[in-house]
Amino acid sequence: MNCPMETGGNAELLLDYAAGKLKAGARAQVALHIEVCPACSAFAGAQQTVWQALEDWEPAEVSLDFDRRLHARIEQAVPWWTRLLRPLNPLFRHGVPIGAAAGVVIMAGLLMNRPASVPAAPAPQSAQVEALQPDQVESALDEMEMLREFNHLVPDNAGPKM
Amino acid sequence: MEERVKDDMGGLAATLDFDAELMLRVKDGDGASFAILLGKHRLPVIHFLYRMVQNQAVAEELAQEVFLRVYRSRGSYEPTAKFTTWLFRIATHLALNSLRDGKNRRLEERLDDDSSETPVRQVSDQRPSVEQRMVYQARMEEIRRAVAMLPEKQRAAVLMHKYQEMEYSQIAKVLNCSESAIKSLLFRAYETLRARLAHMA
Repeated sequence: MNCPMETGGNAELLLDYAAGKLKAGARAQVALHIEVCPACSAFAGAQQTVWQALEDWEPAEVSLDFDRRLHARIEQAVPWWTRLLRPLNPLFRHGVPIGAAAGVVIMAGLLMNRPASVPAAPAPQSAQVEALQPDQVESALDEMEMLREFNHLVPDNAGPKM
Repeated sequence: MEERVKDDMGGLAATLDFDAELMLRVKDGDGASFAILLGKHRLPVIHFLYRMVQNQAVAEELAQEVFLRVYRSRGSYEPTAKFTTWLFRIATHLALNSLRDGKNRRLEERLDDDSSETPVRQVSDQRPSVEQRMVYQARMEEIRRAVAMLPEKQRAAVLMHKYQEMEYSQIAKVLNCSESAIKSLLFRAYETLRARLAHMA
């Protein structure tokens, strides 16, 4: 095995050895090398001291109300309408597809049974003529006759004289 | 439950870690999955932040912000990396910002102070003498100082390497560096620590 201290980029082998992160085969190789290499031996020894010192560094206790405070902050960020509708969430989550399908079926049924109250399409013009009353037709003919007579009475040059 | 999640998600499960699957469930509105993630990662995140900023109150406040951001980001979450990579990227970002913003001034004050927040470790007879307690506290203080004096990025890398047992590649992703840069960073950091803590052998 090449000396990790002398081989560029292999120093992490000694870090991992000191950290106990090497697999059995690699660990045995490094251990054999360390026995004959004073530089690596000194390095690994010092690194194990650091590792052990860090191991002893215990963090402080975490507050018991950490989760409660976090959930309170999460809750604060939730809009009021979402909080208001929250009890209905299960309904929305599971009931809406069923309700929507039922609604569609009911609406379709209602539309099919509905009486034809929608406005009828405009009737053809001939039908409108047929619908006229005889007295209306008579009155219209009378008016046309009066207009014709009036046109005969008025001379062609009867415009205003300046 | 893990099996059920994997069944539900089909082939995608093979490429995702379980935490990422839980996070996808949070994205779908499953609050219980968020509670599981919180329960699993609460302590690692708080302990990491505590060792970064070396102040318990600040660490807890930052951890609250970390999980709040995780929750708020659930809608846009995409499992492009391991969940812990994403989680510690948020935590590291907040810790570095906190340190740079000088919000953690108490750290410097405390480092010059004799008082300590470190819990007293129970030694073999379970009733440490005053002398043992003082020796232990002095030792812890020395370790804390040694770590606190590391440049911020080196500190974060050492803490993730030592306490989170992350691979070089994952630390590299968290700190947005190349893997070789992380190896070099860690080598320099441990070199400094070896020099400062060598006498503890």
